[in-house]
Amino acid sequence: MSARNPGINIDLEWVSKVRVNTQAVLKRAQQIQSVKLAKKQWQAAWLLKAVTCIDLTTLAGDDTPSNVHRLCMKAVQPVPHDLLRSMGMHDKGVTTGAVCVYPSRVADAVKSLKAANSSLPVASVATGFPAGQTPLRTRLEEVRAAVADGAAEIDIVINRTLALTGQWEAMYDEIRQFREACGNAHMKTILAIGELGTFTNVYKASLVSMMAGSDFIKTSTGKESVNATYPVAIVMVRAIRDYFLRTGHKVGFKPAGGIRTAKESLVWLSLIKEELGDEWLSPQLFRLGASSLLADIERQIFHYVTGRYPALHELPMA
Amino acid sequence: MEYGPTSSSAANAQAWLDSTCRTLGLFIDGKFLLPADRQTRTLTGAKGDSVCTVVCAVEEDISKGVSSSASGFRAWSGLSCHQRGKASCSTPATLVRLAQYYSSWAQLRDTLLPHWSPLGVVEVVVSDDCPLYSLMLKVLPALAMGNSVIVVPGLSTAPSALLLAQIFTEAGLPAGALNVLTGSTLFVGAAVACNASVSSVSYSGNKQDGVALCQATAGAGVAVSVSAAVGAVCPFIVFESADLDSAVDGAIEAAFRKRKEVQWMLYVQESVLDGVLARLRLRVASLPCVALPSEADRSLVEAALIQACGPPATGLQYPPTVLCGVAPASPCVASPPPGPLLPLMTFRSNTEGVTLGNHSPHGHAASVWTEDLTLALEAAKSGHKDSGTCTDGGQEGLYQFLQPSCSSPSLPRSAPTPLDYDKFGSTVSSTLVPTASAPKLYQQFVGGKSCKSESGCSVAVRAPDGAGVLAYCPDGGRKDVRNAVEAASKVQPGWMKKGPSARAQSLYSLAKGLEAKRKELATSISTQTGLSLDEADQEVELSVGRLTDWAARCAQTQGGAPAVPQAGSALSLPQALGVVGVVLPDNQPLLSLVTLLGAAVAMGNAVVMVPSQRYPIPALTFIQVLQASDLPAGLVNIISGARDQLTVALANHNVIKAIWYWGSPEGCQYLQHTCTGPFKTLWLHSQAHGDQGTRWALAPGAALLEETWHNATQWMSIWIPTA
Repeated sequence: MSARNPGINIDLEWVSKVRVNTQAVLKRAQQIQSVKLAKKQWQAAWLLKAVTCIDLTTLAGDDTPSNVHRLCMKAVQPVPHDLLRSMGMHDKGVTTGAVCVYPSRVADAVKSLKAANSSLPVASVATGFPAGQTPLRTRLEEVRAAVADGAAEIDIVINRTLALTGQWEAMYDEIRQFREACGNAHMKTILAIGELGTFTNVYKASLVSMMAGSDFIKTSTGKESVNATYPVAIVMVRAIRDYFLRTGHKVGFKPAGGIRTAKESLVWLSLIKEELGDEWLSPQLFRLGASSLLADIERQIFHYVTGRYPALHELPMA
Repeated sequence: MEYGPTSSSAANAQAWLDSTCRTLGLFIDGKFLLPADRQTRTLTGAKGDSVCTVVCAVEEDISKGVSSSASGFRAWSGLSCHQRGKASCSTPATLVRLAQYYSSWAQLRDTLLPHWSPLGVVEVVVSDDCPLYSLMLKVLPALAMGNSVIVVPGLSTAPSALLLAQIFTEAGLPAGALNVLTGSTLFVGAAVACNASVSSVSYSGNKQDGVALCQATAGAGVAVSVSAAVGAVCPFIVFESADLDSAVDGAIEAAFRKRKEVQWMLYVQESVLDGVLARLRLRVASLPCVALPSEADRSLVEAALIQACGPPATGLQYPPTVLCGVAPASPCVASPPPGPLLPLMTFRSNTEGVTLGNHSPHGHAASVWTEDLTLALEAAKSGHKDSGTCTDGGQEGLYQFLQPSCSSPSLPRSAPTPLDYDKFGSTVSSTLVPTASAPKLYQQFVGGKSCKSESGCSVAVRAPDGAGVLAYCPDGGRKDVRNAVEAASKVQPGWMKKGPSARAQSLYSLAKGLEAKRKELATSISTQTGLSLDEADQEVELSVGRLTDWAARCAQTQGGAPAVPQAGSALSLPQALGVVGVVLPDNQPLLSLVTLLGAAVAMGNAVVMVPSQRYPIPALTFIQVLQASDLPAGLVNIISGARDQLTVALANHNVIKAIWYWGSPEGCQYLQHTCTGPFKTLWLHSQAHGDQGTRWALAPGAALLEETWHNATQWMSIWIPTA
């Protein structure tokens, strides 16, 4: 991974000056969506790029070692070998970006991947996911436990109470502590934008999270009513750009929740290309949090290779 | 990661062009005509390839087109509003909203605009670089109001205009209601305008062609309204309270699009300059090159670039470039070159930003970026300035294609007379030989003071039978007009700001003052015009009523918040023009003066009025009423003297935004020819020598009064985009 974001001291003046024009953001989002998407071999290339950026996720109450194992195997071989071979991509090590599970399943995932001789990182959600309404002490303990079990990436959720009441300094301190608890594990900060109310709050929360040393900022848990939308993504990547311009530190971006189709994944990639540039188009700085997206991408790649649309059972399930 | 090639969607257009063998004819009387032996013009695409050729219409085609339009007008205006609405509703997708909007107006014309009729045959001329949208913004309202339209499209809009004419005709527009004559904009445009069957000309496009068209048609007795939006310079102001990312995106979208209509100037508040520059640098670096309008423009762009920074790039395409560190005095700001260049200037305070943005000869549009609504509204200043003489769009934009029912055209058709524009109005008035029995010496009214003319000269006012000298009045000239305009432009903004109720109050008290001087004014009218005292008294009474009428209407003309298709709300606000020059008619000297003065002043304008040369005494007597009133000094100025001489003085003062003229056909021709740099809004009336001018004794609500009211106002739209 690239150099981590060490964070900076909190700059409340910067935070207080944030202005976001909702209408202009919505318009920009429409423009991005109207960018002509790549076709044919270019599309296939973009889809494979999307695959490498996926955090293949299962976050359910009924997760057990067996379905986590299936998920890990799918993450290691996300596109059937024969399809990759006909595109000449079979020896390029195409895997998803990571697998993402609850803290209690980290050990299972690490075990499965180790057995498969894969170095794919395991990401774990933590800190009272999804609501974050548990005592700070237990949230910190959760982070430490996941790291101890072998998680290389931790997706923390911010304390929305602090954000909504404008206690940015307190939020900064909490995230700082999470970062310390993470140690060498990379930290993705989930803003839960569906619960922040305004774009201005989203921008401010993004800035504070980055100041506190987040390696990624992530839109949502997938459990709120509003998840990853393009307008809110524009607000967040602008904050990333702003932070980069002022500090020189690159912070990654991860939209999550509700991303299901190959076409959507292409729009996400072009949004990143347009707003942050090609440099951010890599798993080091961009992840797509998704569970069912991969199946649709596989379908599109199958169609590109064979000229036919596959039945669902023709593709290996996760 | 590259996007790779995207599929082209031009196949349909290419197929249509192929079906015409890539040679487009004229569209006359509902069908395409391809006359032989005509010159052609070739339209080239962005890659320098030839797209198609269009025919250049000659005299023969033009007269054919005009007579088709004349019969088209009979058929079209004979339909019911409903039928017209239905026929003008079907257009291709891109223009659906516009077409639907105007077809609704077609449907509702008689309901919402009673007392107004179509003009007849309307010519719509656009320059070569004018976009299709601006063309349709003229064509659709003209058709909707029941006029037949002759379109003289510029080269770039010719294929679209021809195709649209075909589609409209297939949709049920009567043959001849919409004709398209292609060719050189200026030649065809002027030739059509000079045809006596054409009632009105509306122009949209760049300024040079607009000026040339106005001058070519001066004296033909046809009004030309101009929208010189193409090439206008518009400010893009970014305050420190703006969402900088959105502002930068907006600026890039506006300034570096392929076909831009206006030139943008970026003004950035000093405190956020670094943030804006950093974002611009990132965004501009990743933008693709933009095709220049033509190879010839390349040298202009490069000249600007060399002045601004280093050596230029090479190739046919041009990289989007922001010019930093320029100042209002830089040549690339004073006369911006075409192409993807965006000059950037800084300002210190909010007030300075507003001042800098407005300090421009253009008044087309501005883009203001701040999250502070009060600041945004304060930044919105008005004025067409050099960007045209008419309002396009909305209900207000309809009036340029309408005339009051039951009124004869104010400008009869005529052939332009050979006129020496330099010598017009320069004949020296005859020398005065003082007579023994010195009659009364009147004074004029400039800047709130009654005074002699700057030259100190006077002219004699003859009695109605032409026998004796009734009085002497000042022989005003250029310097008097200069003094008056100076006073007027100083006081006018404050007058406008006072608000309608305060203005109404002043007008009511002016009416009272007039009533008090009733006897004196009646006497002056009677001695001047030879009317009986009773008739004169009646004119004074009507004048009092007229002033009261205007005062009452002051507060009733309000803007509104029309619905807009995009998210957000729009404000439509009536604004004063500024300083209006009025050359008064001979007919009913007091009533006409009061009518025009009242309308102009009620809407917040200042006036410089020239009383009738034949009958100046009532106007000069009225000065006493003005002096006793509480109108601010300088708001109303009255300068007597030789009409032509004063017309020239008004025409050549650039602060005067509009001229309302009653006078000779030569005077009309002179004004049409001269008032083009900057454009003045002209309201011209050619009065013949007999006494058959405008009748002023009208019931309130009469069409002429409505027209006067419209002429005294211009409209400003403020769009506030909200989510």
